[in-house]
Amino acid sequence: MTHATATANMMHPPVPAEPGAGVYSNKLGMWVFLASDVMFFTALIGSYIILRFGMTEPWAAPGAVLNVPLTGINTFLLICSSVSMVKAYAAIADGKKYFLRPLPGKLMRDGGLKFWLLITIICGAAFVGVQVYEYIKLVEHGFTPAGYREGSLLAEHALADPVKYGAATGAMYGSTFFTMTGFHGFHVTCGVVSMLYLYFTKVLPEKYSAQDYRGIEVVGLYWHFVDLVWIILFTIVYLI
Amino acid sequence: MTTVAHAPPQAHDAPMSFWRKYIFSTDHKIIGIQFLFVSLFFLFVGGLLAMQIRWQVGFPGKPMPGGGILPESMVVNGVILPEYYIQLVTMHGTFMVFFAIMPLLVGVYANFLIPLKIGTHDMAFPRINMWSFWLALLAGLIMTAGFFVPEGTSRAGWTMYTPLSARPDLSGATVGQMLWCVSIVVLGLSSVMGSVNYITTIINHRAPGMTWFRMPLSVWALFITAILAVLALPVLQGAAIMLLFDQTLGTHFFDPVAGGQALLWQHLFWFFGHPEVYILILPAMGMVSDIIANGSRKPIFGYHSMVFAIVGIAFLGWLVWGHHMFMSGMNPTLGSTFMVSTLLIAVPSAIKVFNWLGTMWRGNLRFHVPMLNAVAFVSMFTIGGLSGIFMAATPVDIPIHDTYFIVAHLHYVLFGGSLFALFAAIPFWYPKMFGRMMDERLGKIHFWLTFVTYNLVFFPMHVIGMGGQMRRLYDPTVYDFLKPQQPLNEFITISAFALFAVQFIFMFNFLWSLKKGKKAPQNPWDDNGLEWSLPNPAPHGNWERVPNVYRGPYEFSAPEAGSSDFLPQHVKLSTDKEPAGRLER
Amino acid sequence: MTTTAHVRPNYILIWVYLFVLTVVEVGAAFFSGIPKHWLILILVVLAVWKALLVALYFMHLKFEGWRLRLIFLVPLPLAFILVVTTMMEKP
Repeated sequence: MTHATATANMMHPPVPAEPGAGVYSNKLGMWVFLASDVMFFTALIGSYIILRFGMTEPWAAPGAVLNVPLTGINTFLLICSSVSMVKAYAAIADGKKYFLRPLPGKLMRDGGLKFWLLITIICGAAFVGVQVYEYIKLVEHGFTPAGYREGSLLAEHALADPVKYGAATGAMYGSTFFTMTGFHGFHVTCGVVSMLYLYFTKVLPEKYSAQDYRGIEVVGLYWHFVDLVWIILFTIVYLI
Repeated sequence: MTTVAHAPPQAHDAPMSFWRKYIFSTDHKIIGIQFLFVSLFFLFVGGLLAMQIRWQVGFPGKPMPGGGILPESMVVNGVILPEYYIQLVTMHGTFMVFFAIMPLLVGVYANFLIPLKIGTHDMAFPRINMWSFWLALLAGLIMTAGFFVPEGTSRAGWTMYTPLSARPDLSGATVGQMLWCVSIVVLGLSSVMGSVNYITTIINHRAPGMTWFRMPLSVWALFITAILAVLALPVLQGAAIMLLFDQTLGTHFFDPVAGGQALLWQHLFWFFGHPEVYILILPAMGMVSDIIANGSRKPIFGYHSMVFAIVGIAFLGWLVWGHHMFMSGMNPTLGSTFMVSTLLIAVPSAIKVFNWLGTMWRGNLRFHVPMLNAVAFVSMFTIGGLSGIFMAATPVDIPIHDTYFIVAHLHYVLFGGSLFALFAAIPFWYPKMFGRMMDERLGKIHFWLTFVTYNLVFFPMHVIGMGGQMRRLYDPTVYDFLKPQQPLNEFITISAFALFAVQFIFMFNFLWSLKKGKKAPQNPWDDNGLEWSLPNPAPHGNWERVPNVYRGPYEFSAPEAGSSDFLPQHVKLSTDKEPAGRLER
Repeated sequence: MTTTAHVRPNYILIWVYLFVLTVVEVGAAFFSGIPKHWLILILVVLAVWKALLVALYFMHLKFEGWRLRLIFLVPLPLAFILVVTTMMEKP
């Protein structure tokens, strides 16, 4: 083997003398961080499970308070952003630093890193936007972190049908819903900001290559994790 | 296998400004030293808080000397108010656990020692490391700010039990309570960032020949501690956020009236809190192992079982948290489960104690200052561990829970344990940090006076605890059944003042030696660690070319070494082979 | 230990699975009339299935070594222990 210098493949570095995890350090570090993030969401989601199933009175029926169709679309949006993220990863793994390139004999063009990462950022930002919109609508309707606001439309509904609207558990519903989804949304926002930062400082100037796209893989891992948490949240908060 | 030519950092660094080199440094050694100065300061603050607590308990209702400088909200006519007393108690625990002991053991020594002892230039993520320090400092400042806001700091004890902590109308603390929560979230972030660094560096950046079972026990302990931290701190962060939201956003996580559960806080807190106490002791145990082997001029007895004991303690540590909650009204079956797991965890700790003794047995003992403190660690930690057995047994815990017996236990393991280990580690690695030795004679005087006064302070607490004195109690003399013990309280207080005064010897020694200490030889303790292959203080980037490692860390009195009684890890004998696959780094 | 050149998963196919599973979930929750306890079990299983798809194929855990998989797995029993033990507490 010749001396490898700047063209060394940073994605699969040569095995060091003392074999470690078998992956480059940035990736190892991100996985360890994700393990810690699992514990953080455990505290929040675990508390939700403990509190909800510790209640004797009924919880609001799915869809009664929250807008499931809208959030279903939002969930789909986030999953799409996860797909575009992994497509971005695959693109740069193949060295495709570009935006779009025509494919011979095909109508569809081939997307490179710049295209797919931009889609991811847009979908991620849209997710946050929809969630902010959802929060505003919920608070207007009367659903707050402290519970069902007195005198609101939601409070009236809850008086009329306390079982369907979980009138007795509304305070806990509000507390857990906003905390869990709020911190998830915060994680998504951090992801979008990170991707924007990388987009302008490394992706547009084409600093990533097939030999070194560690930043993309690492931010991708974070992004998929955030999607994974949402998959769990959507089910246990909106559907159950 | 390719060789990747990788120039060491200092080869082409432009000269750095003072700010970049010493203040906003990414060098793990500087970051460790920054943690050292800040944490020693907070240790001192914690001690000042303790002195005030002891004044009130020893001489309830008497005007405190110097009390006049404090505002009327805290002290009236020199007498500490109950509202201030409970802040003192809360903040003493908070500062000592989060801003003194934890950063001293982890922030200082994980940062300083790990790259040096495993043979690499710096941490895996030097900039994240720098952020970890500044976030910890920010958290400390936020916590301190609590004393200067209306109503003062939180008043719920360092364990922050709800609903007291969640209800300003009950505790009286408003902004100060929120600051506690915010500070803890920021500190948790600092801790997690640091731990990610330590774990990644140890896994991926060991020097050629530094296999897992050739790592010093200090590194093993710091590695396992980092794993505990990375998994436990986020749970506390979640809980603190929920508590903050209960106060600020009107949520009801811990409010039983609205359907919340006050006990949920205790579960979350102690699920973090128990691994936390192992975070507070494991690095101490690791460093003590290194120092005792050195002071005994013998290999550590049972190196492998020491490693497995560390892993065993860490693993079991996740399963015992309920023993802090025996009196919470928990399901008795659950209580029994926690009792069994808690009794079990004494076993690996005991293995370690026996192994330290086995190391010293028939060793060529050198009682330098680090060794004195390390041996004291072993005996004091054993006492603390023995009192722990009492508490582990649920029926025994019923009368002693929340009494001074518990206070005695926790101070035996945290002061008798962790702090003595720090009094050993600080002079031991001081030459590596600052290029000078701390004064040996002052160190010995400090050690003996500390050892005596410390036991005079904390041993009697077992007695008054058994006698029923509750912890966090403002005035024991209001209870007739406690009045006969008051002389003991006075005795403890006087001893505590003496103990605190003695620490000025350490403080003076530490600060004076920075400039006037004896210039250190390269390997002042005749130790085997990789760090001693470098000049004192160690240069930026550590080695030009990382060393090869040929053996384990405790080859003292090895026959191969000939007349020398130590054989460093990096020294190649004619019989040694080069490590396979050496990579230029 | 370098990862061997593995067959790249069909990401679009995984996306289709995720979409279908989501539709099934929403359908089951609102239109199926399945009794509550069974519904919870089914929904949780579906959610875990989706999460595994993301972890194994998008995060490439299927193709990584056991060490990374271990890092991902370790928090899970801890989470389980915390939640189950605390839930058992309820009188």
